[in-house]
Amino acid sequence: MPCGGNHNEFPLTTKFRHFSRVNGMSDNDKGTWKVGIDIGGTFTDVLAINAADGEVRTAKVRSQTHDPITSIVSAYAAIRIDWSTVSDLMHGTTMATNAIVEGNLAPLALVATEGFRDTIEIGRQNRRELYRLEVTPKLPPLVPQHLRVEAIERIGPEGQVLKPLTEAEACRVAGIIDSLNVDTVAIALQHCFVNADHEKRLGEQLSSTVKYVALSHEMSPEPREFERTNTTILSAALMPLTASYLDKLQAGAGDHSNIHLFHSAGGMASVEAVRSRPLTLALSGPAAGVAAAGKICSELGLDNAIGFDMGGTTTDTCVVIDGKVQVGSDQRLAGRPVRQLMVAVESIGAGGGSIARVEGSAVRVGPDSAGSEPGPACYGLGGELPTVTDANMTLGYLNPERLLGGAIQLSREAAGTAMQTLADAFATSVDEAALGVYRVANASMARALRRVTVKRGVDARSCSLIAFGGAGPMHAVALAREFGIARVVVPKFSSVFSALGCLTAELSYAEQHTVRMPSADWDADRMDTLCRSMRDRLSTPIVAAGHAAGTIETLFIGLIRYAGQSDTVEVPFVLPCDPEKLGADFRARHKKLYGFATEEAWLFESLRTTVSAPSQHSFTDIHETGQEKSTTPISVDQCWFDASGPVTTRRFERGALPVDWEVEGPAVIEDNWSTIVLPPGATAWIDATGHLIITAGTGA
Amino acid sequence: MNAKPEQRPDPFTVEVIRNALTAIAEEMSLIVMRSARSPLLREAGDLSSALTDSAGNLIAQGRDIPAHLGVMGSTVQEFLKRVPPQKLQPGDVWFMNLPEAGGNHLPDVKAIRPVFAEGAIQAYAVSLAHWADIGGARPGSYVPDARDAWQEGLRIPPLRVFSEQGPDREKLDMILANVRGAQEREGDILAQMASTYSADERLQEVFSRYDAATVQAAITDLHDQSEAEMRAAIRTLPNGVYVGEDWLDDDGLGGERIPVRVRIEIQDEQAVFDFSETGDAAAGPLNATPFTASASVFYAMKVIAGPDIQPNAGCARPLKIIIREGSLLHPPLEKPVVGGNHETSQRIVDAIFNAFENTIPERLTAGGSTTSGLLLFSGRDPRSGQWTTLYEVHGGGEGARHDRDGMCVARPHMSNVMNTPAEVIEANYPIIIEQQALRSGSGGNGVHSGGDGQIRTYLINGPEVVMTSMVERCIVPPFGLQGGEAGKTFNITLKRASGETENIAGKTHLRLQQGDRIIMKTSGGGGYGTPPTHDSRETADS
Repeated sequence: MPCGGNHNEFPLTTKFRHFSRVNGMSDNDKGTWKVGIDIGGTFTDVLAINAADGEVRTAKVRSQTHDPITSIVSAYAAIRIDWSTVSDLMHGTTMATNAIVEGNLAPLALVATEGFRDTIEIGRQNRRELYRLEVTPKLPPLVPQHLRVEAIERIGPEGQVLKPLTEAEACRVAGIIDSLNVDTVAIALQHCFVNADHEKRLGEQLSSTVKYVALSHEMSPEPREFERTNTTILSAALMPLTASYLDKLQAGAGDHSNIHLFHSAGGMASVEAVRSRPLTLALSGPAAGVAAAGKICSELGLDNAIGFDMGGTTTDTCVVIDGKVQVGSDQRLAGRPVRQLMVAVESIGAGGGSIARVEGSAVRVGPDSAGSEPGPACYGLGGELPTVTDANMTLGYLNPERLLGGAIQLSREAAGTAMQTLADAFATSVDEAALGVYRVANASMARALRRVTVKRGVDARSCSLIAFGGAGPMHAVALAREFGIARVVVPKFSSVFSALGCLTAELSYAEQHTVRMPSADWDADRMDTLCRSMRDRLSTPIVAAGHAAGTIETLFIGLIRYAGQSDTVEVPFVLPCDPEKLGADFRARHKKLYGFATEEAWLFESLRTTVSAPSQHSFTDIHETGQEKSTTPISVDQCWFDASGPVTTRRFERGALPVDWEVEGPAVIEDNWSTIVLPPGATAWIDATGHLIITAGTGA
Repeated sequence: MNAKPEQRPDPFTVEVIRNALTAIAEEMSLIVMRSARSPLLREAGDLSSALTDSAGNLIAQGRDIPAHLGVMGSTVQEFLKRVPPQKLQPGDVWFMNLPEAGGNHLPDVKAIRPVFAEGAIQAYAVSLAHWADIGGARPGSYVPDARDAWQEGLRIPPLRVFSEQGPDREKLDMILANVRGAQEREGDILAQMASTYSADERLQEVFSRYDAATVQAAITDLHDQSEAEMRAAIRTLPNGVYVGEDWLDDDGLGGERIPVRVRIEIQDEQAVFDFSETGDAAAGPLNATPFTASASVFYAMKVIAGPDIQPNAGCARPLKIIIREGSLLHPPLEKPVVGGNHETSQRIVDAIFNAFENTIPERLTAGGSTTSGLLLFSGRDPRSGQWTTLYEVHGGGEGARHDRDGMCVARPHMSNVMNTPAEVIEANYPIIIEQQALRSGSGGNGVHSGGDGQIRTYLINGPEVVMTSMVERCIVPPFGLQGGEAGKTFNITLKRASGETENIAGKTHLRLQQGDRIIMKTSGGGGYGTPPTHDSRETADS
């Protein structure tokens, strides 16, 4: 999982100066601002829009990882605003992700059903690596055995009480927890997702003993004890950290600003909601970018799209189907299962920093990365091994005349020197080696794209490719051609794309509950009651935030499978729920996903409900303040696109391109943070909203 | 990016094609796992996928089960000996499971699809799935006391079950009429078919981007690369002759321990594995096929010498494997084999490790729970009235290494099948799981100690349930290395509702009643290095 932002990562040791680009020159006290901020591992992106005149200011500053609040303060300073003028702060953060990845979690105790405290250590018993004996087969458990407590109680699979939880037992457990000296407890009892009574009572009992309690039926109301317990443990372990951060945030905001946080399922949530379920921040960072990609689709009228966010060390891909960002509840973070709704992001550990190497007579790209220390050779910061970025430099795509991010002088010579070792090994020219590395990198990106589309049953050829991140736009057209994708979109504000995602996101809440209703034994009343009560519960905080009930949208998704299957198919439906239609839609989706469907009975396994209020901002009303327009290239260079040799390639400044003016490849369009490569045959133009639209063409 | 046909594609093109082929094999497994019906496939992942070239040489595989992956190339080669390629049509999916025809055991059924491009067969897509039942004498098709192959279930010779026109209903019905749980099996068959269909579609994309000559040249290159890597790996082992052995507990019929013996000769970049001294074919179902034995050798070489070698047919070229006909590893056709697939195959790896113990101990892991630890519960669920079969494998302690302790509860070596969550078991079978806990103190002592096994208690919650076990390491414990102590043996106890308690043999079949309990304790891992003191850890069994 990524722990950085969507940008090329730079070494912390570089003489990096705060780079900020301030558009407009207004006074500080001209009214209030709505602000989107995304705190990534390396950079904090901010984008603010003025309520009075619509002025937009953006900046990118170094993240202060030790104290995220400082990142917000310096982002404010960079665009010359402060807390007192911020009416709304919409905020995404990698704080929770980083805490999980780095194992920086609060010590905690676990309460499990009698006989089950070792479940988290047994796991699913499969090993991580098939052929590497030196690697430990599993990750160690997050709670050591001496902090795992068993409660004498038992609920059966249908929710029946097999062994009651007595008052005396609850007190005994509380006593043990008291003696363990922890502030935080996770409670995960068998079958609690069918009958939560025991968990609730234990939770009440313990809340007088410890500060933070997470109950598994709230954190992950689904079967499979190992995965649910892990999810609950991660939730609990994030509580202290999250609480202290939110306290600081609220202290800073005072009475001036409303704070919303970006949650992993791709929408905004209130501070209080996040406080009780901090794991909803697990994918907060990437989710903002994903949500923005979804928003672009709906604004451009695209049905299906693939989000392609290629950074320095990781690449995240996601899909938008029928205008909806796809979420899933079956993912992993840092190797641990997390069962909660999160945007379905497929991450691979490859990016601009991936190192190309010779292995026998073969060439491999990655998984080793030059990362941000020392970085690609062309950064001139001590890296000597050839990376994908060095290939891009050698091919002429990156501009040696430009300071990347306003700070780093790129060296084509250093890139060529690094590439030489590969060229020597395969007796080719440096340029051909670079071209080869570029193609192999695209092939591994293609694998990630393949996985994310296959899992969702969508044909990549029906999608547009939305490319962002530092390196995404450099590879996007070549990748689109691999898949037969016709259109590529490089959004406006792509360098602060996640911040933009925060600002344009909907306020939304989502939940998933196990239902298990067979089609043969359909209970329409029960289904109706379930749907309505879930909708009402999720709407409450949205109404409280001032949205009129009439503007709130509800999306119901049934997770349906045939009896005996384990994976479910997502089938959207509306109230009143019609089981006939549900069945027909299920079979159609199943056929699309797996190539077959049968007429047998099915089972409504779980209900997923998303409730959202429309956002107040769209891309069309956030304008980049204009730069003087020009159709003159800033330079003309020689770039390689295939083995036939270099071709004359015009280089344009993105901000200078007039709306609707077509740029024909070969060309490069760039700004301070990203480089868009247009091979011969591709055509690009800036649309009225400010997005760069590319027709990929065929090349040949 | 249409590449022109060329003699030898450049290494970058080869790498691009390798990525594409591997992605296809991975995608096949994903499709089976997500759409199959048996918990064994969807929860536990007992399946594998592979692509071979037109001669049946493995070119790419998913990240699946080593015991399967080693045999799939042979499956296609044996298939082609029986079905001439000119009989094959686009859209065909053939099913087969004969152990003697590139197989391992009857429940592992392979679906094979020829992939055509430019008017010729370019590749085969193979989907292997462990069917939770393939017929035979007992539910779940494990017959621990079987004396012949036909008791073990339905034997499927190469059979065209799907063609361009769709399923051949009569053949499908013939299969379904001979296995338990026809509806679930049909779902599994469709899942396997779907995975080969997707492989075909994806391969067509590859062949539309590169012409067949380029792809075939790239495949030749990939085989050569892996061969060179395997040769380099063998060169890291000192020249010499190494002899090792390990023992099966028994043959399932209560016989003696059976030796698995190997004589390894390393000569520069060649390795010969001679199993001639291994015992004769067993009377019971612990026989393995030569294909399974090759899979074990390949696995052992990969973990010992070359974990990064790209697995394909090129790896096998520098390895010579000698197996005596009539032995445990090449039994006569009529002998039962169901347990050999996952028990004897593990003994082969253990014997190879034993051979290398004093040469490269730092590359080895002490003995682990090298058994499937298989318990099969079959019975009518009083809630649904349906007959159900739970196939559950159990991991034990990992052996220690020269630089670390073994970990608790993991699947070692030839298998990597997951467990089924207690909550899923209780919702689907007449069983309550009363406990799943670490079996503390079960790992062997050493400078580094072996990992602990686990305890799982099954309470029978239905009127008629039968249980079958197929478990090793009940008698011969997981070995220590370099003076480390052995791990505790596997142990199964039956506690009757009446209170009587008895020990259950590793390979047995019994009737259970409501209120009976099966208490299963899996073996611990062996230790590494002579333990510092000999007042070893508490040995009382937990």
